[in-house]
Amino acid sequence: MSSSRIFRVLLPGLALMCCCSSLVSAGGFDEVEVHGFATQGFIKTSANSFFGDSEDGSFEFTELGVNASMDATEDIRLSGQLLSRRAGEMYSGTPSIDFALADFTVRSTENDNFGIMLGRIKNPLGLFNETRDVAFTRPGFLVPQVVYYDKVRNLILSADGLAARMSTFSELANVSLYLAAGQPLTDENVEYVYLGSGYEGDFSPDGLSYIGRVLVEKPDGTVRASLSIASTSMKFERGASDPIGNGGVSLVYGIGSLQCVVNDWTFTSEYMQEPIEWRGFVGSPLAGKEATGESYYFQAAWQARTDVEVMIRYGEGYADRADHSGVRIEQATGGAIPAHTQYSKIATAGIRWDVSSQLMVRAEYQRHNGTLILSNRENPVPAATVPDWDMFALSVSYRF
Amino acid sequence: MIRYFRSLSLLLIAVLVAPAGAAQIVVHHDVARQALTLNVARLIFTMRLLHWPDGTRVRVFVLPDADPLHQEFAKRSLDLYPRQLRRVWDRHLFSGAGAIPVEVSSVEEMLRRVAETPGAVGYLPDGLARGEVRVVNVQ
Repeated sequence: MSSSRIFRVLLPGLALMCCCSSLVSAGGFDEVEVHGFATQGFIKTSANSFFGDSEDGSFEFTELGVNASMDATEDIRLSGQLLSRRAGEMYSGTPSIDFALADFTVRSTENDNFGIMLGRIKNPLGLFNETRDVAFTRPGFLVPQVVYYDKVRNLILSADGLAARMSTFSELANVSLYLAAGQPLTDENVEYVYLGSGYEGDFSPDGLSYIGRVLVEKPDGTVRASLSIASTSMKFERGASDPIGNGGVSLVYGIGSLQCVVNDWTFTSEYMQEPIEWRGFVGSPLAGKEATGESYYFQAAWQARTDVEVMIRYGEGYADRADHSGVRIEQATGGAIPAHTQYSKIATAGIRWDVSSQLMVRAEYQRHNGTLILSNRENPVPAATVPDWDMFALSVSYRF
Repeated sequence: MIRYFRSLSLLLIAVLVAPAGAAQIVVHHDVARQALTLNVARLIFTMRLLHWPDGTRVRVFVLPDADPLHQEFAKRSLDLYPRQLRRVWDRHLFSGAGAIPVEVSSVEEMLRRVAETPGAVGYLPDGLARGEVRVVNVQ
């Protein structure tokens, strides 16, 4: 079934769910749960642009989401979420369907469970991808940018297709396996990242993406370890005015994650590798190119009080693990692409205050060396970016 | 008079030092389980066990995160931090990856909803379970 057909079936159902929510009697279990969230951010950078004209202070970061879910039957759960996300030049705030799915529980016992999901499904990559746009669930002002690059967010965010989930439970560990196949979503940000610029031609998914994850957790939740992977391909069909030929890009996005909770402390670390291969693109530097993106971060968060969390994080990201310093690219391009655009080393300190269960405020300071995490859509001239820069960010979030 | 005052202060001390009220897991009376292992209790409240052994759907009720009884319940009955439960529920809620519990606003509502919902499970302060609502021990 094509993804558009899936949505022709699912979307009216979800819309109906929302409309009916007020009509359904409270107390029954056929009731529709409606929840939502809103975040407004402020970003000030010492140089470069991140989510708008941040050198002058930018308010161009707003996230709004509303979701609805209901048990259609004893075993089938329907849920969907509308999301509006404005982030500088990258995302305009146009509402989109974040997820819309039917989750069918085939089996659920004290020892194991098994289920199937159909629709637009969030990809469970790393510990945070699924809910990366919900401030309350993030480990900081944003998800760690070196692993969860905002500029390729849409490509790995979700897939329109089918997923199977299965878990086994024991006193030793809970082990979950997730496998999915579906069509990814591409956008102009993805084109800028993998083709280096925006072109007239069409950059679109080439076949299905495959997503897999193994998650092992101690039953008391104090240790969570996962390996997750997504494999996807895109094709480019040039427009008449484009200076590059047709081509294709294939990539694998793999993340190893570990989180430990020790009393009031939460320690989190993730490592990401992304082998990328370019085919075709005759007449451009992309022809026959191969690179492996690599990144990692460590974070320690301390629950100072029940309503206050303080955190520090250090992370590094590289466009190509074979060229950590970026010097090769700088030499190959005669300095047009400076070395510092090929890596980001970021030290972060932040504080989260849960004013109430519905209201949260965050403040964060980041010291950056390198500009890999920046979008070239927001910073179109690589040589004009400043390698050493600071970011200060504030956000206010509300949920219901 | 002195004796009266002493009893009053003892009562006051008892009220002040008593925990928020030890929480007990309670179920709708149709639920056949007499006791739960700690593991199964955790699976239920992290929304990973959706059916009782007889096939009835498990319906989970909780109090708000900030409620002292909820915090007591999470730590004592499940040996989990309330924020760990919140993390799991939020992941389910904001990704569609799973079910979330129904939040009730008071102990009275908890008692009423568990009593009237087949398959229901929740928690109440020690000694409040009655009628259609039965205590299950965690072993």
